[in-house]
Amino acid sequence: MTDVHTPRESASGETEATRPFGENETEPDVSGSGATAGWPRWAWRQLTSMRTALVLLFLLALGSVPGSVLPQQGSDPVAVQQYFASHPGLAPWLNRLGLFNVFAAPWFAAIYLLLFTSLVGCVVPRTLRLAGSARTPPPRAPRNLLRLPHSASYASALAPSAAVDAAAAVLGGQRFRLRRPGAGDATFWVSAEKGYLREVGNLLFHLALLGVLVSIAVGGLFGYKADKLLVEGQQFYNNTTALDEFHPGRLVSGSDLAPFRLTLNSFSASYFTTGESRGQPETFHAYVTYSPSLGAPARPYDLQVNHPLSVDSTKVYLIGHGYAPVFKVTNARGQVSYQQATPFIPANTGTMTSDGVVKAPDASLGFIGVFVPTGIMVGGTLESVFPAPDAPAVSLVGYSGNLGMNSGVPQSVFQLDTTGMTKISGSPHLLLPGQTWKLPGGRGSIAFTGYKQWVSLAITYDPGQVPALICGILALVGLLLSFLVRRRRIFVRAVPSGTGSVVTVGGLARTDASGGFEDEFASLAAELAVGGAAGGPASDSREPSNQSETGA
Amino acid sequence: MFKAKRRTVVSVAAVAAVLLAAALAVTLLTQGSGKADAGYVFYPESQRHIVPDFTATSLTGTPINFASYRGKVVVVNFWGSWCDPCRSEAPTLSVLSEQYRSRGVSFLGVDVSDTPVNALAFTRSVGITYPSVNDSGYSVTQDFSQVVPISGTPTTIVVDRTGHVAGYIYGGATYSALNTLLGDVAVTR
Repeated sequence: MTDVHTPRESASGETEATRPFGENETEPDVSGSGATAGWPRWAWRQLTSMRTALVLLFLLALGSVPGSVLPQQGSDPVAVQQYFASHPGLAPWLNRLGLFNVFAAPWFAAIYLLLFTSLVGCVVPRTLRLAGSARTPPPRAPRNLLRLPHSASYASALAPSAAVDAAAAVLGGQRFRLRRPGAGDATFWVSAEKGYLREVGNLLFHLALLGVLVSIAVGGLFGYKADKLLVEGQQFYNNTTALDEFHPGRLVSGSDLAPFRLTLNSFSASYFTTGESRGQPETFHAYVTYSPSLGAPARPYDLQVNHPLSVDSTKVYLIGHGYAPVFKVTNARGQVSYQQATPFIPANTGTMTSDGVVKAPDASLGFIGVFVPTGIMVGGTLESVFPAPDAPAVSLVGYSGNLGMNSGVPQSVFQLDTTGMTKISGSPHLLLPGQTWKLPGGRGSIAFTGYKQWVSLAITYDPGQVPALICGILALVGLLLSFLVRRRRIFVRAVPSGTGSVVTVGGLARTDASGGFEDEFASLAAELAVGGAAGGPASDSREPSNQSETGA
Repeated sequence: MFKAKRRTVVSVAAVAAVLLAAALAVTLLTQGSGKADAGYVFYPESQRHIVPDFTATSLTGTPINFASYRGKVVVVNFWGSWCDPCRSEAPTLSVLSEQYRSRGVSFLGVDVSDTPVNALAFTRSVGITYPSVNDSGYSVTQDFSQVVPISGTPTTIVVDRTGHVAGYIYGGATYSALNTLLGDVAVTR
């Protein structure tokens, strides 16, 4: 946040003309108030101070460190279990502190909420002050304009009131905001101020900052993230049952999901075949059809990396792919017990060597497999040399017995619990597409009938994204305005002199960092002199001297 | 200065109190989202939603129209042969389906994200006699999720004689939970 106020300095004898720009009210004195009302106010002031916001920001960063160092329940529950097994003494304590679920831990949310409160409490009062300052009329003209950093004077043939009127007309024509003497004031002057766009910019910046905070909060409350693995030929509806992982915002329920349907017709990947980047992916295309709502006609879409599908402001991203070998398992009695494309997970994305398991609990058979898209035998080991499916093969290790799937405890579909099983002799067994492994002892068979490809999709809905972007741009615009536009004041006073008058002009600019006010003042003074008429050019124009820069 | 010292102590306490209150509020909010573990949800008649009609294919390939169940209480079980809690609740469902058959209660499985071959291998081995429809594309699940919150498998829904959702069991169905739910539905109609 920018600090929009210059510290108030004790004005050396000068009147309100040199009060800091945009401040007309005095800060309430809090030190003397009663103790009961003082403490909450003091605590609030501390919370909303810039220092506290920075400390909280630092704490937030510090607090997320264990989230990246320790395994997290949300993203990798299996790793958390492994951590418990390997650190039986430490893990329960870490768990009590919520370190396995940092981003949902109460202390983390407390930091986040306090930071939010701190920022809001900091920005809102500033916004109100800025709004007030943008509406404030210019101050009264000081008595002695020659004391101001920029000043000039000229003689005019007009009477003082007419001379000031003429000056006001010139300044008004240049879109200055004017202030004339009140009813009881017998002197002749006009105050003019310009550059309110600076305050507008400041206001815009602070409001946009609030907008960013609100947008992020809205996104967190009403948005969701989900993952879905989809094999070629399969379809799904965007509902919580179909999604593999579902991370809803606090105010999202299952019925809030946009009910689109998506089918993966085919997936194709191309790889560089020559040169240094041989085997590197070149393009990915997931050819899908989707229906935006129930009963709507299906539309085709070519889903690519960084080219997401947008349905009903929900975004579907292509984030991964892999192979799903198709297996057919028969039991000891010759009945087909398992037939499906089984997604294998790439263990090496360079060669797409993939691991997976086949679970046929109703044939009492299980297999741990490796799929290679372009396989060669290296010293008796199957290895993949290229990620494209040029010579696919699988190597299977078979197990027979109870898979432990009826106990009610959910297992991972990518892991086989072999504790109650025995390894089948002849493992590992190599299969090419179309080949069948007849298991020894009449236990049945497994056929590798082909393969399909799968894609993993990330489905995100973040209603705060677009507003956050717009607010971010507005904040930048506001910041630029507040930096580039400067607030400046021109004062004109006229006193009678003979038949005409002597007119003095004073000028004051704030933070003249980019320079140029000197020139602007000189040309304005000249213009006023001409406008004041008949008096000839400025008779006395002084450069800024070493006078007090109060309020500048 | 004594006053300043006291002021510091009080202020630190105030900030600590604010921090503590915020942490407490967040903890309460976090816990509030969890469901009380009653095992099942029963809707009074005035709060029941009608299930959209659908036609799906059974595991053996015959079309099943949901409207044909009108006039009967239907237990709709969302399951998959790959889903461990579904496998362990299946014998209970099988027993209850036999018990309630004579009382006009039908059972229908919705086999989610599965192949008919895998599903039939399971129903054969457990001895389930009631039919299931194949829902590999989640369309039946989508129909039901408009009227009852299905967050995954297994979920067991009881539909009353007029085709309205009378209640559901989230997670694995126990004998007592489904028996109680079916008793409630039978009494109210």
